[in-house]
Amino acid sequence: MNMETESINKSRIGKNVIIPVILLLAFLIYYTIMAMLSPVKKKDAITKEYSFIQDEKNIIDEQIFADSTYLKLLKEKSFLQSRIAMAETDSIYLTINLSDSIVSLEISGVAVHTSRVKRSDISKILKSGNEYIISSMLARPFTIEKNYSSIPKEPLMIKMAPKDTSEYQPDIIPDTADYEPVNFIMQIENGFHIFIYQDEKLNFGDGIHRLIFDMLNRFRDTFHSLKSVVTFRIPENHPYIKVRLPRTDAKIIYRALPEHGQIAVYL
Amino acid sequence: MESNRIIQDGSPSKDLQTPGTPNLSKDSDNNKVSESITQETTDNGKHKRVSGKVLFGSIVFLALASLIAFFLYLVPALQEIPSGSKSPVTNSAELKKDAAYKKQISQLKRDVQRLSGKYSRYTSGQSYLVINTTDNLFYLYRNKKLIREGHCSSGSYKMLKTEEGRSWIFKTPKGKFWIQGKTTHPSWRRPDWAYVEEGLPIPSQDDQSRYEYGILGDYAMALGDGYLIHGTIYKRFLGMPVTHGCVRLNDEDLEAIFNTLSIGSKVYIF
Repeated sequence: MNMETESINKSRIGKNVIIPVILLLAFLIYYTIMAMLSPVKKKDAITKEYSFIQDEKNIIDEQIFADSTYLKLLKEKSFLQSRIAMAETDSIYLTINLSDSIVSLEISGVAVHTSRVKRSDISKILKSGNEYIISSMLARPFTIEKNYSSIPKEPLMIKMAPKDTSEYQPDIIPDTADYEPVNFIMQIENGFHIFIYQDEKLNFGDGIHRLIFDMLNRFRDTFHSLKSVVTFRIPENHPYIKVRLPRTDAKIIYRALPEHGQIAVYL
Repeated sequence: MESNRIIQDGSPSKDLQTPGTPNLSKDSDNNKVSESITQETTDNGKHKRVSGKVLFGSIVFLALASLIAFFLYLVPALQEIPSGSKSPVTNSAELKKDAAYKKQISQLKRDVQRLSGKYSRYTSGQSYLVINTTDNLFYLYRNKKLIREGHCSSGSYKMLKTEEGRSWIFKTPKGKFWIQGKTTHPSWRRPDWAYVEEGLPIPSQDDQSRYEYGILGDYAMALGDGYLIHGTIYKRFLGMPVTHGCVRLNDEDLEAIFNTLSIGSKVYIF
């Protein structure tokens, strides 16, 4: 009798464990499939927007769009077009040239600060996508939609005015020894993400700080993906450009770029 | 005492079935053995429960860690696995002979040349000044060549607030500016915030006490909206963000910049 009760209990426990595990696994498989479809969807969207449209009056042999000489010139033209579009404004903008490993801050066509890229990585879409389509996409500057950063854009300090001279205290000399690791992510209007991380590990916690900062971003992305997936929509894919720079340069770039600044990219 | 002798499985011990046994020492020994077995069994039970909890906790922790790793790292990594082949880039000699191809390439070359020329014209051959407000450094250029660099002081990013709700932010504006005016031996007309900051009563706009002489150095260059490039008596603060928005320089750098830049010269601040 006891044995029977025990086996009934065990099977109940088994069901209570196995069913949720099966459901969880099914969800994970479903999530993975949806997530895998997201870069495909993004690639299709980019292709649709930037692919070549044949002009019936002036038909071009599409073989040319795979020619190395043509693509090299097209890349240069796109980068220049993008920079000129930004130079027409009085705003500060960023150029990322991964081919020469150079990142520059420019104002009206004048390079005011240049930094050497220590390490970089780009998304599969940019790496293996159709070069004609990618170059056409890069002919227009990227516009920053949102920033996530480990440092404030403007390090504002609030000071209450003294009521009279007896309350007045002269300003303290700023502490230039203040140290904060510099990592930031710029979310672009077209869904791309540009990561700029400090390359050096100058202090003990820098590596951990970068890991946590990166993980928080992954949490944000995953949260949005989960939200899409549970409503049976393919999550949005965020192709990325990851750049590692010296800390001082990363700080200068983040502080100089406007909240909705623009970026030109040369791959 | 009897209850103590009950062994964990619920069956009474053998000692209880033979009460009144004359051998007291044997009984006491048996009691001890039984107690120690009970103790051991209880300890084992506790130990098992603790290990069970630890095991369960570890499994839950591992499962959660795996789930997090799955969502945060594995799925994004899977998304980045190259799918199919990279779109091919060709270098066909046959195509290069084609007249339409040649036309396309020459058109593209012309476009690149034109755009490149246009872009390089943005960088003025005239003198210009670049100010880095993050590191408080300046760079003076003439004919596209760097001729002088050094420390300066820019805005402190302090926000001064009064109880009445007035506020000022002391930051140097960023972007493209030009020299709108040049003066020697400039005087400073103290704005309202200079009084508020020190807890002094604000005088009328044309009050003579607003004017101070000699604290801006020998030269000043106006950038518009009241922002100046000028000298300072606080030289030890050069290289630090301490100003109310103006750019401060030491005497030698200020003189060199004043003599190099003319009205209309560009100043790039970032």
